[in-house]
Amino acid sequence: MSLILIKYGPDHPAEGAKLSSAKEADCAVLIQNGVYWAACDALKDAKCPVYAIKDDFLARGYEEGQFDIELIDYDALVELIERNEGFVG
Amino acid sequence: MSKKVLFVVYQSPVGSVWVNEAFRTAFGMYGEDVEPALLLMNEGVVALARECKPERLGLLSVKMVQRYVKRYGTPVYAVGEDLDAYGVRDVDEGFSAQTVGKNKLPELFRQHDYVIFM
Amino acid sequence: MKIAIQVMTPPYSYQDMDSAIKIAEAALNKGHEVAIFLFADAVNAANSRVKPIRVDRNIPKKLEELIKEKGLRVDICGLCMEYRGLAEEALIEGARPSGLPELAKLIAESDRFLSFSA
Repeated sequence: MSLILIKYGPDHPAEGAKLSSAKEADCAVLIQNGVYWAACDALKDAKCPVYAIKDDFLARGYEEGQFDIELIDYDALVELIERNEGFVG
Repeated sequence: MSKKVLFVVYQSPVGSVWVNEAFRTAFGMYGEDVEPALLLMNEGVVALARECKPERLGLLSVKMVQRYVKRYGTPVYAVGEDLDAYGVRDVDEGFSAQTVGKNKLPELFRQHDYVIFM
Repeated sequence: MKIAIQVMTPPYSYQDMDSAIKIAEAALNKGHEVAIFLFADAVNAANSRVKPIRVDRNIPKKLEELIKEKGLRVDICGLCMEYRGLAEEALIEGARPSGLPELAKLIAESDRFLSFSA
């Protein structure tokens, strides 16, 4: 089980490779400009649960519920870190 | 049990420092129970071109890492499609790089505890 | 649980240091041991001489508070410091110049390792 950390948007060359490596048991977190993936159809193909950091999402002018993505705070991110031994980021 | 770490470089070896820093970081792992490997993708694969010489611009050479790759036996991978996409025809064998297809990247990532993009 | 976080990009130019601090603080509040390893241009996050404008956050000061009040460990790549002219006496109190052997140790001994790509 790995935590996949996505910090750039869909146009960045590295992030697609990270997301496409996901397995069902993994989880991906969109942080910083990674939240732009929330507006992107490609995210629907992700094989693992995907979350977005709420502060980063709202700070970029999006509204809660605007996209189909679960928003989390840093405490929840730490819980994901606790649960996932591996890391891709 | 040792931890396996894959350092991934996607930025150009000329004009950015990350190819050098990724190799330097990888070699720094050998004092501990860590098994490092390198993956070059996107513009990063240009580091393997025989005539890739950042030193022509006064920048740090990338070839200086080759003797350590040889000494430590550090696995080096490069994405085959990216070698084609960036026109890298003459690969410098001093890196002992293995080519991997994009479709094999998930499997390669899975073989490592940590995948660190630089 | 021991959690290590590596940051490579310069503070203020990018958000990585801010994110790392928020993760570190949340983890420290839950009782975890947390170390931040500053690599490449991220070393300036531990420069006590940084002077942001009044309305902006003071990243080195925040790091120093977390070191003193919550036991955050901050290791800094010594070679990266030298490259950037960052003297040891300019470091915030409690931050430690170290190097890749310490990073290797953090990777080997931490239960979790995170990194913000360049």
